Amino acid sequence: MATDPTVSAANEQNRLNQTAEKIVDPLVPAPYDNDKAVQSPRSGLRNAVATTTTYLVLTALSVIVLFPIYMLLLRALSSPLKYISAGQPLYPVSIEWDVFNRAFGQASLGRSMGLSFVVTFVIVIAQVLTSVLAAYAFAFLEFPLKKLAFVLVIGTLLLPIEVTLIANVEIIRKLHLLNSVPGLTFPFLVTAIGIFLIRQGFLGIPRDLRDASELDGYGHLRFLFKVAMPMSKAIIGSFIVIAFLGAWNQYVWPRFATDRGAWQTVQVALRTIGSENPGELNLGFAAAIVASLPLLALLIFFQRQIVRGLTAGAVKG
Amino acid sequence: MSAVAFDQVTKKFGDTVAVDEFSLQIADGEFMVLLGPSGCGKSTALRMIAGLEEISSGILTIGERVVNHIPPRERDIAMVFQSYALYPHMSVENNIESPLVANKRAKVDATERTRRVHEAAETLGLTEYLARKPGELSGGQRQRVALARAIVRRPEVFLMDEPLSNLDAKLRTQTRLELVDLHRRLGTTFVYVTHDQVEAMTMADRIAVISDGRIQQVGAPQDVYEKPANLFVASFIGSPPMNTILGTLQGATENAAASVLTAEGTLAIGHPGSAQPGTELVLGIRPEHLHATDPVDAPGAVRATIQNIELLGHERHVICTVGATQMTVRQPNDAPPLAIGQAVSLHADPAEVHLFDPVSTERLN
Amino acid sequence: MNTSPLNPTEQAQGESAQVTTVSAPAKAQTRRFGNKVRDAGLAYLFLLPALIIFGVFAYYPLYRLFWYATHTQSRFRNKPASYVGLEQLKASLTSNDFISGLTHSGLYMLYTVPLGLLLGVMLAVSTHRRLKGIKVFQTIFSSTVASSVAVASVVFITLVNPEIGYFKNVPWLSLRNPTSALFAVSLSSVWQNLGLTFIVVLAALQTVPDELIEAATLDGYGAIRRFWRITVPLISPALLFLGIVLVVSALQAFAQIEILTGGGPSGATETLLFKIADPRGIRPLGVRASYSLGLFVLTAIVAGAQYSIMSKRVHYGD
Repeated sequence: MATDPTVSAANEQNRLNQTAEKIVDPLVPAPYDNDKAVQSPRSGLRNAVATTTTYLVLTALSVIVLFPIYMLLLRALSSPLKYISAGQPLYPVSIEWDVFNRAFGQASLGRSMGLSFVVTFVIVIAQVLTSVLAAYAFAFLEFPLKKLAFVLVIGTLLLPIEVTLIANVEIIRKLHLLNSVPGLTFPFLVTAIGIFLIRQGFLGIPRDLRDASELDGYGHLRFLFKVAMPMSKAIIGSFIVIAFLGAWNQYVWPRFATDRGAWQTVQVALRTIGSENPGELNLGFAAAIVASLPLLALLIFFQRQIVRGLTAGAVKG
Repeated sequence: MSAVAFDQVTKKFGDTVAVDEFSLQIADGEFMVLLGPSGCGKSTALRMIAGLEEISSGILTIGERVVNHIPPRERDIAMVFQSYALYPHMSVENNIESPLVANKRAKVDATERTRRVHEAAETLGLTEYLARKPGELSGGQRQRVALARAIVRRPEVFLMDEPLSNLDAKLRTQTRLELVDLHRRLGTTFVYVTHDQVEAMTMADRIAVISDGRIQQVGAPQDVYEKPANLFVASFIGSPPMNTILGTLQGATENAAASVLTAEGTLAIGHPGSAQPGTELVLGIRPEHLHATDPVDAPGAVRATIQNIELLGHERHVICTVGATQMTVRQPNDAPPLAIGQAVSLHADPAEVHLFDPVSTERLN
Repeated sequence: MNTSPLNPTEQAQGESAQVTTVSAPAKAQTRRFGNKVRDAGLAYLFLLPALIIFGVFAYYPLYRLFWYATHTQSRFRNKPASYVGLEQLKASLTSNDFISGLTHSGLYMLYTVPLGLLLGVMLAVSTHRRLKGIKVFQTIFSSTVASSVAVASVVFITLVNPEIGYFKNVPWLSLRNPTSALFAVSLSSVWQNLGLTFIVVLAALQTVPDELIEAATLDGYGAIRRFWRITVPLISPALLFLGIVLVVSALQAFAQIEILTGGGPSGATETLLFKIADPRGIRPLGVRASYSLGLFVLTAIVAGAQYSIMSKRVHYGD
């Protein structure tokens, strides 16, 4: 293609300007790279100083972020009473490795972890299913009252569980679903965020491709499963990961949709594990570590999806 | 194989008329090109054949069947899109067999399907790429996958929407030849949409020139070129475009043929057709039918000044100003040298002059 | 034939770009044929699960909140509730209890949002460079994504609990003191949200083209001016988005309060949602429903802003 003469002239002009700046400014010290990895020529010594400073800053910030985690590990592994009588130092006192065993045994951490997994899987699977179907209807089907249906979906953004909490607790109570998996999951089987995200993915499928599939003779279901979903794999994957994150971390709803300890998800159980007996405080801290492990695994194996999911939609953890 | 017929077909998008009372007979086995500038309605017309646009009014038939209300999958047509519209997540093989798998009406069993896919792949030289994904292919290869997907279903009619416009110039020339060859081998009706007059001229049995949602002219490429029906067709086909200049017709006398009086002199022309002496008209002359000569004020010629000379290697285009108008003369490279700024006389081959009504823009001779 | 073989490529390409935009009619994504009634039926079938759940667990509860807010419940569950109009709603939303909840939630926002954003940007900026081992730091900084509010609260027990916390003797982190308790709790939110803030800001920084920063450097901008005049404006959509996310999560703070302070000392950390959820059951249902409607209005304001930003982001193709 022919180059546009005005553009190349402008480029030339830019280049000239920059060269001029460079020539005028040689005495001004090179800017200190605080925010960007722009490599500018500087002496080896200065470079080394800058690099060392950067590592120092990074290490200091890491300490701020990691200190609470370190304290959690420390308190979980130290025998509580001995640790306290040692004056709560920054190092472990009489390490008790069986604290995790005891948390599973004495504090029935196993049951609440299991319940959390069940609740999370039910919610994630249901959310993917309902979001994909609803997104398909909004993206590819024409039907009466489509606008109204869409507004109703958007409207639920104004009605998070925190707002409707007390009414929903009454509803679940009336349905006799307190202390049950249905009661813990029903309000979360659908999410507007999921519908939006996946609809956006569907709308990104080029128009020509939809036309071609229509000519090829795809019916709606075949198009959904063979074309629309495979082509939106990335978005659906991100959504699954952030849905898992959200469902696993729930606190407010499972806290009030249960009134019996046996039906506490692990997040809710954290409030009480080990809090009755000062000698068992470390059980609670160990439980908090165990409760984070699934998400830690998620963070390690699905980093890309997490980043994409968190960036695409508002998700609270 | 089937003929396609538009009978006063109209398509409206809201208040905008995209296709205005199209009537066009496309013969069985014909290579028909719908040619026009962007937004003229040619793609909409093609998409109506495909069934991708509803028809607002009129009747569209494929073969013997009125297809106005028949869904695309039942129309027995195949389409090649400008973007190729390949499924990015499927292998080349799955892409090609897609119409046979997806369409329940196709009723093709697995062995026959594999045979057809391999046959189509072989025809288009894709056999070694069958396992790849479209993303791993070059633009030209993708284009051939799109073609293979179209031929594998053995349709009655092939529809192509600017299939060459995403290829580079060299590949485009080559693919043009391959398409003509494919048409000859299959003998199927092709309806081909393009804005590129060279594609239309080189491939079409007949061209339908379209502008503003209306068919301007239908005819064989040579006829459309030689006898453009109106000023739009005259200026749209041919590169560089036809020269036009306003003038008044003067009847033939005993010692002079008919001529047209312009602001810069008189041009001798051939038979003026239905035009009456004294009428205002637009004169059209193709660059190759216009000649520049040295002596100024020659009889039957107009005065001009050379503004620029474009050298193209095998020929040159001499751009002249004639009063307020610009006219281009196409010359062989070995013609006598001319200089920029030089005054010349321009005269036309009298038999090759086109006359148009300035109001209706219709052809007069 | 004597036509020129010339067909300028650039003209053809310019033209083809237009073709797609001009000939594409609006609403092209839906299918034009097939049975329209059947398509509509399919659409409703696909939407049915979503609409039922939203109806029962989002819209009906909203109606119930209005109902509770306009009725007073008898202490004895078997007696019918009596209609009191807007009286109870008005009284509740002007009560000192509600105002204090609102104040605490507002303070919580003030403590968490600016500090959270600032720290998140610091972490992201400091790791947005080519250095050996930078991946390790990036992983450390995003690690708190793995902690829930409840986990973060338990973590902060080890730090600020008045009996066993490491910082129990630091006055401005004391949970015993009404003036410092809310701030101490809010730090758990700041810490818990660091991972999210870091990830989003870093992702935004990575979209800023290197050439832009290089050009600014050549233009003579110092590092600080370069950051404020080029980097910040370019990542501002991400910051705005994060700001809203943090505001919403502050508005919905509950677990950290219940786990760390139980609302105390003397109600100093009772946020709006804490009063609504009312774990000790001291407020009548009608009052809590009224508070919920107050929270609904606040959420609506924030969610409105969120939606308008989201739709803008979507427009840019995100």
